[in-house]
Amino acid sequence: MSGDTIIELKNVGVRYRRKAGFMRSNAFWALHDVSFDLRHGETLGVIGRNGAGKSTLLRLLAGILAPDTGSILHKTDKVSLLALQAGFIPALTGRENAVLSGILLGMDRAEVEARMDDMVRFAELEEFIDEPVRTYSSGMRARLGFTVAFQADPDVLLIDEVLGIGDASFKEKSSAAMREKIASDKTVVIVTHHPDTIMDLCDRVAWINQGVTVEVGEPEAVVQHYQQSLKQGSKRA
Amino acid sequence: MRRSNYWQLIWYKGMADLHAEAARAYVGFIWWVLEPLLYMMAFYVAFGMGLRGSGGGVVALSLLCGLVPWKWFASSVQNGSDIIQANGGLIMQVYLPKYVLPGMVMVTNGIKFLIILGLLMLGMAIVHGASVAWLSLPVLVLVEMLLALALSSLAAAIVPLLPDLDLVISNGLIVMMFMSGIFKDVSQLPPKLASILALNPMVHVIRAFRTVLLDKQWPDWTALGGVTLFSLAVYALALALLRRYDRIYPKLLVG
Repeated sequence: MSGDTIIELKNVGVRYRRKAGFMRSNAFWALHDVSFDLRHGETLGVIGRNGAGKSTLLRLLAGILAPDTGSILHKTDKVSLLALQAGFIPALTGRENAVLSGILLGMDRAEVEARMDDMVRFAELEEFIDEPVRTYSSGMRARLGFTVAFQADPDVLLIDEVLGIGDASFKEKSSAAMREKIASDKTVVIVTHHPDTIMDLCDRVAWINQGVTVEVGEPEAVVQHYQQSLKQGSKRA
Repeated sequence: MRRSNYWQLIWYKGMADLHAEAARAYVGFIWWVLEPLLYMMAFYVAFGMGLRGSGGGVVALSLLCGLVPWKWFASSVQNGSDIIQANGGLIMQVYLPKYVLPGMVMVTNGIKFLIILGLLMLGMAIVHGASVAWLSLPVLVLVEMLLALALSSLAAAIVPLLPDLDLVISNGLIVMMFMSGIFKDVSQLPPKLASILALNPMVHVIRAFRTVLLDKQWPDWTALGGVTLFSLAVYALALALLRRYDRIYPKLLVG
């Protein structure tokens, strides 16, 4: 049901261990204390500076990592990152990589193969799809990666930073496709440090600083407070 | 991802890795045949040549019956030990239950093994003749596959937690190779030593291949049953570990 909580985070902390010499390691807390809930059908923005723990948070939401403290409750297991070029093997052709990546993103092989022609057209790779991906330019690889990832249809879509991918014309096309998806009834989490993206697309925002949730609420208010803190930070510096 | 999808993934990714391996080399998949042939030749030169004249031909065949299953086992365990590391980029992007990773190793190495086994059977049939007992080969392959999967999964589960074990495993495999009866069945050793070496499951697998292929007799089913029970126990342990640390492994890759 729209509006129901679909993922709930309570005082979540995530710790990495870093090797620090002979038989020693240091703990590094990427997240200390993060709490918010994600509701069905909404687009939630997560804003914060570089190093705030945004990537770790996405991995936590995607179920890739488990928290070390606090708790996370998933009411669906179909949560996934918009994972570009997931599992790409350079020696294989674009077609084989599209199938492999599609299966990795939860699609059925037959489903990917049925959509192949449309995907190839969208990615503008008609002449190259049967060539090895290692011969592709980075733009071509990005187009294929986006097109496959975009086909996956999880209950909750997690997006890291950028919407548009590739050169100018493809960026416009891919960004438009993403916006359409976000505007639909889909539950989406977008992580960014751009206030404009948040104001444009999100229903609610969580502001995270150094692994701690500072504020969760309406985009206007939260973004304003976030920007004030940035200004204060740069004045102090 | 649905469960049926994992099977599809294991198969497709295993085949894709195999294909990629072939696509990288100039002569491609010929390497799958050439590599083990060169490997077997090296051993034949080192250990078989001196035995010519005193039934050297049979000794060489006996050596091959040991080396072919051994190579499959050893490369699966070795590949298993770094499978999580090797797929680090992937498991940071997409959630995958870690137990599917050794499955991919089994597909890649299993297909290579079947090609080599086919060649060995062909060679055997020509030189030494085939037999009805060969009908038991599919069972032998399954028994060894389960053993390789179990130990490969165990290595995959433990090495990320204790990276130093990677070296222990590669050296352990060399020691184990010399104690698996590849060169000479362990039953030809002093009984006390033989009974200790018989604790190594590969001794029984290799003996079974040799009994069936070379001696043209049915294998020792009891011994193979024992190996299967051992494999199931190890696999259960490996699965428990892989489940327990499922969402911890990605963190270890960051540090």
